[in-house]
Amino acid sequence: MLRTLRLAALLGGLLMAAAASARDIDAASYGYPLTNPFEATIATTPPEQRPTLPSDDEIDQADYSLNLRPEREFTLPDNFWSVKKLKYRLARQDREAPLIFVIAGTGAPYSSSINEYLKKLFYQAGFHVVQLSSPTSYDFMSAASRFATPGISQEDAEDMYRVMQAVRAQHPRLPVSDFYLTGYSLGALDAAFVSHLDETRRSFNFKRVLLLNPPVNLYTSINNLDKLVQTQVKGIDRSTTFYELMLTKLTRYFQDKGYIDLNEALLYDFQQSRQHLSNEQMAMLIGTSFRFSAADIAFTSDLINRRGLIIPPKFPITEGSSLTPFFKRALQCDFDCYMTEQVIPMWRARTDGNSILQLVNQVSLYALEDYLRDSPKIAVMHNADDVILGPGDIGFLRKVFGDRLTLYPHGGHCGNLNYRVNSDAMLEFFRG
Amino acid sequence: MVNKLLFATALLVAGNALAAETAPRASVIEADPQITGASLAPESDGFIDPLRELKFNPGLDQREFERSTLEALNVYDPLESMNRRIYHFNYRLDQWVLLPVVSGYQYVTPRFVRTGVSNFFNNLGDVPNLFNSVLQLKAKRSAEITARLMFNTLIGVGGLWDPATKMGLPRQSEDFGQTLGFYGVPDGPFLMLPVLGPSNLRDTTGLVVDYAGEQAVNYLNVAEASTDHPEIFALRVVDKRYTTNFRYGQLNSPFEYEKVRYVYTQARKLQIAE
Repeated sequence: MLRTLRLAALLGGLLMAAAASARDIDAASYGYPLTNPFEATIATTPPEQRPTLPSDDEIDQADYSLNLRPEREFTLPDNFWSVKKLKYRLARQDREAPLIFVIAGTGAPYSSSINEYLKKLFYQAGFHVVQLSSPTSYDFMSAASRFATPGISQEDAEDMYRVMQAVRAQHPRLPVSDFYLTGYSLGALDAAFVSHLDETRRSFNFKRVLLLNPPVNLYTSINNLDKLVQTQVKGIDRSTTFYELMLTKLTRYFQDKGYIDLNEALLYDFQQSRQHLSNEQMAMLIGTSFRFSAADIAFTSDLINRRGLIIPPKFPITEGSSLTPFFKRALQCDFDCYMTEQVIPMWRARTDGNSILQLVNQVSLYALEDYLRDSPKIAVMHNADDVILGPGDIGFLRKVFGDRLTLYPHGGHCGNLNYRVNSDAMLEFFRG
Repeated sequence: MVNKLLFATALLVAGNALAAETAPRASVIEADPQITGASLAPESDGFIDPLRELKFNPGLDQREFERSTLEALNVYDPLESMNRRIYHFNYRLDQWVLLPVVSGYQYVTPRFVRTGVSNFFNNLGDVPNLFNSVLQLKAKRSAEITARLMFNTLIGVGGLWDPATKMGLPRQSEDFGQTLGFYGVPDGPFLMLPVLGPSNLRDTTGLVVDYAGEQAVNYLNVAEASTDHPEIFALRVVDKRYTTNFRYGQLNSPFEYEKVRYVYTQARKLQIAE
């Protein structure tokens, strides 16, 4: 008897061990077509391998706005009129249903393409869906953020939590059975912090939380992204800038093709053509898009807080004023510069903070290590070749999440989110 | 007691098994012929650093992003202050009038009706497309557009259907602005037109010429009927907004005006070159 028990215990132990290691998806059975991480990041999944989703016509949805910071009506310049209230999008089912909040990634608004995709996916599966802007986006910073200096994950989560509570309060009659939460990229990091906050505030009692491609160490991520514009790109010289190079390629491609046809297959066709982009060029392209986000964040934060780094604090701005001179200044500030010039000084002043290492620990997933380890409701999906990760990050995820980490071999940064295998896995996770 | 012991054993075993977890397989590499070379071996936790295969500027101090972007901001825009005001006017008009009208239109009409309406106005638009294609001496394209006009007008019942696209003759747009650009007329100052959005002096001229041409040709008698029935014109405006994907604020940036201006200028260059 004792022996059988012991055997059972051993088996149980083995099972637990097997269950506790991450779910590694191997490349052969995964079958994701884009093995190049940069291509995957830019082009995402080829259309025929995406899940079938409802069209916008078939979704009962509308945009709403929240007046969370009424004082900004008076403190922000006139040409910010469109972002004095925070907008979000709600897709509602016609019966009682679970509600899922979707948080966008760096600098992205509630209507970003990945948010739209996730909305369709979860709506089809019977969820009410609320799409939210990232705390780093222009509209969120202006309309919902108390300090308008995103980057301190804890503070961002508190702002976000207030937004979510206001969303719930705006639709008191919406019949909701349970609350769920997800986010991609930086939005996933926000989701983790929001979930943690919810454990004490208890407004939602999230049933399940899914983190899609979160940064592990925020500092590694921003350094990687800043570095992308430092690649050596062939074809750039004194007379040709990077954009000119890209446009020349695009023009030649269309001339070869005979006509302009902008569709979803364009990117794959382009990469098959003679004009295809090299890894360095794609990296530069991704880096460029992030630099534009960094410029928006640096400018908006500086303006709202009147720090005078980019725009003089009392500079009069009307709807007719040119912002180009400030854009020129802002675009010279990358994420690292924004952290050094704006986030760290504010954090030090407000919280008696110390070294940058301390900040990194506070704002990265490290800060939530114990919570994440002990919360079976939180899972993470990540890619082995994600550009926002650094050495050791996946090891950290393995250690903390165990079998709640699903690691895909390909996909770059969020490129495989709309691959059918991934969408099935996401739905399965939320179905429980 | 025994149970406790067993539980402890189980935990220990689990711990051991965890510690003995094999390093992640290298199957990613084996299964993937495109990635070769030892430099891409995954790290012990399975991480494949995508930055490792890139060639970086040794000092990490190139200012290519800054250089490109600063240069891209040089668009001739002497009327910037007025343009920006019109941009904000358009933004408001869009949010408070046009988009609500479009969503009402979507609400009251089934999709095939809307597609029919779009096809009909697109078919009308093929007339200026044809003229401008001929003016640019593009023989093949002119032939294709002529074929489109015939198929769509005759088989497609006045253009309500678009059988030509299904036959492999996609819509190709040519306007008088492009024709002027084709013969080397420069952009002129950037203009933000009320309601219509970004343009420049050359393309605005083109727009006027195309409009006059359409009135003169009076294809399918639509231009004439529109003067008696302004609702046709209104439907055309609604359809135009319905088929235009751009939303003010979608770039979600304080510098949206600059970005729209750059993208418009480059997109026109591309259309002219092609």
